[in-house]
Amino acid sequence: MNLDIRTEELDGETVLFVGGEIDAYTASQLRESLLPLTEKEGAVIVVDLTDVNYIDSTGLGIFIGALKSANSNGSSLRLTGLNDRVKRLFSITGLDEVMDIEEEEEAQ
Amino acid sequence: MADAYRLMQEQYVKILETYLQEKNETGLYQAQQFSKKVLENQISPEEVVSLHIEALEQFYPNLPQGARDSFDFLIEIMMGYGMAYREHQILRDKQKELESEINVAANMQQTFLPDEIPEMDELDIGVISVPASKMSGDYYHFIKDDNDSLGVAIADIIGKGVPAALCMSMIKYGMDSLPEQRLQPGALLENLNRVVEQNVASNMFITMMYGSYDPRVHHFYYSGAGHEPGLFYNYAEDRFEDLYAKGLVLGLDRDTKFREYHKKVEAGDFIVLLSDGVTECRTDEGFIEREELTRMIREYSHLSAQEIVNNVFYQLERLQGFRLRDDFSLIILRRKV
Amino acid sequence: MSVQSNVEVHSEWGIVSARQAGRNLAKELGFAGVDQARITTAISELARNIYLYAEKGEIVLEGIEGKEAGGVKRGLKIVAKDQGPGIKSIREVMEDGYTTSGGLGAGLPGVKRLMDEFDIDSITGEGTEITTIKWLR
Repeated sequence: MNLDIRTEELDGETVLFVGGEIDAYTASQLRESLLPLTEKEGAVIVVDLTDVNYIDSTGLGIFIGALKSANSNGSSLRLTGLNDRVKRLFSITGLDEVMDIEEEEEAQ
Repeated sequence: MADAYRLMQEQYVKILETYLQEKNETGLYQAQQFSKKVLENQISPEEVVSLHIEALEQFYPNLPQGARDSFDFLIEIMMGYGMAYREHQILRDKQKELESEINVAANMQQTFLPDEIPEMDELDIGVISVPASKMSGDYYHFIKDDNDSLGVAIADIIGKGVPAALCMSMIKYGMDSLPEQRLQPGALLENLNRVVEQNVASNMFITMMYGSYDPRVHHFYYSGAGHEPGLFYNYAEDRFEDLYAKGLVLGLDRDTKFREYHKKVEAGDFIVLLSDGVTECRTDEGFIEREELTRMIREYSHLSAQEIVNNVFYQLERLQGFRLRDDFSLIILRRKV
Repeated sequence: MSVQSNVEVHSEWGIVSARQAGRNLAKELGFAGVDQARITTAISELARNIYLYAEKGEIVLEGIEGKEAGGVKRGLKIVAKDQGPGIKSIREVMEDGYTTSGGLGAGLPGVKRLMDEFDIDSITGEGTEITTIKWLR
C-alpha cells in the first residue's frame, strides 16, 4: 500500500497532505517527503493528517525524526487533522507535549 | 553430475517406453514420480527437454526433421526457466543460510530475557512474550532488590524484527549498567533515557514502563515513558481501570523527567503490563478493543497468572488467524490472597 | 585450432549475429544440443548488456584448448568487451537476485552458471570486459 502525499504552499506555510496508513511499509515514503522540508531554515511545515486513519510506531518515529530535524534546522513543524486513534497515540507517547498539534475546532 | 544425468536418461527411456506401449494412468504416475527425482537431482528444464528428444530418437529413428528441429526451439524457450531455476536454487540456499543465522541470533536474544519468573510468597506472576517473527523488539525484566521489592520492566522498541532486536540489546545493557542501589522508577527511566538518547538514530525510540512492587506495604510504584497503558484489576469491585503513567518516550529528549505514580494493591487485585502488540491486535473486523481484552482476562481470572496470560495470548492469536503482526508481551502480577 | 571471430554489437541484429557465430562454433567443436543452447544464451545475455547499456562493444569467440588431468580439453571462450560506463559495484551485480532488477550487469550471475569459467573486469567510465569459458564434456 502507498500513501497519498501532496504538498501545497499556503500563506507562506508548506502544507503536506497525507492520506493512508503510516506503518512500517509506508513510513519511508513519508520520510522522503517530510524530512527535506524540515531542513530549510525558517520553513513552516504543516502536516495534515485528516486522511490518515492509522499510524504505527514506525510512523511515529518519522515524526520524531522530523521534529528533531526541525529543531536543529530552525524550521517549525505542526500537525493537524488527527483522528481519535492517532491522537491517542501521540498522547500516550507523550509527544503531544513536545509537538505542536493543532486542535481542530478550537484553533479556527 | 554427468553420471546422474546418464542414470536419469536410462530411466526416462524406460518409463516413457512403457507408457507409450500401455498408455495407462500407472505410466503417468511413474512420470509424476520421475519429476520429483528430476528436481532432487537438480536437472534443469532444458535438460528434461533434451532427455525427451534423445528418447524419442531411440523409439522413432525416422522422426520427421521438422519435429526434431522443433525441440531445439523448445530447448531455447526453456533456457529462461533453466536460468530462473538455478537462481532459485541458489537463493534457497542463501535463505537457509540467513535463516540459520537469524536462529542463532534469536537464541542469543533469548538469553537477554529472564530465564525464570521470580518466586514470591506475596505475588502470583505470569509472563508471555512472543515475537511476531523470529526476533523480538519487546523486552521485559525482573529485578529483586535487597528489600525484597520486585522491579518489573516492560519495553517496546519501535518497529519489529532484527532492527528492533538490535536496539533491544542496548536496553538490556543499559539496564545492566545502571547503578547497583535500588532506583526509584522515575530515576531509573531518566538514567536509561540518557543511554538511549545517545545511542539511537533520530527516528528510533523506545517506550517503557517500570514499576516496583513493595511486598511489605503492597504498594506498586511506577513510571512510564510513552508506554501503552497497562490495566489494574480491582478485585473487591470486580472492575478494570487503566494503569497509565504519562511520560515522553525514551530517546527523544536527554533531559526528560518522569513522574512517579503509585497504587495500593489489595488481595486479589492484579496489575497487567503489556506491549502494544496486545492492543494493536487486528482482525478482519478491525482492532480489538481494550474491553475485549479485559473480557478475556476476566474470563480466565480464576486461573493462575501464567495460565491467564497463556490463554489470553492463545485467544488473541486465534482471532488473528495465528499470524502475529507485532511482538506480543503480557505480564500479570497478582497479589495472592 | 579454429580462428577467433569478432562480432560488433551495436544493434539487436548484432545480438543475433553473435548468437549465430557462437552456435556455429559450438557445433563445430562438438557441443551437444543443450550446451549449444547454454552457450548461445550466455552470448545473448552478454551482447544484450552491451547493446542496452554500453551502446558499442564486441563479442569475441574462440575455440581453445586447456590442460586437464587426462590430457587436453577443448572449450569455447567468449569475451565480451565494451567501452561503456563500466560497472560501479561488481560485487552487487554478481549477487543473485540482482538479475530481476535490470540495469547494467543484470543477468551476469545467470551467465556465470551457464558456463564453466567466468571472469569480469570493469573500470568506471572506461568499460567492461567479461571472459567466460565452456569446456567440452
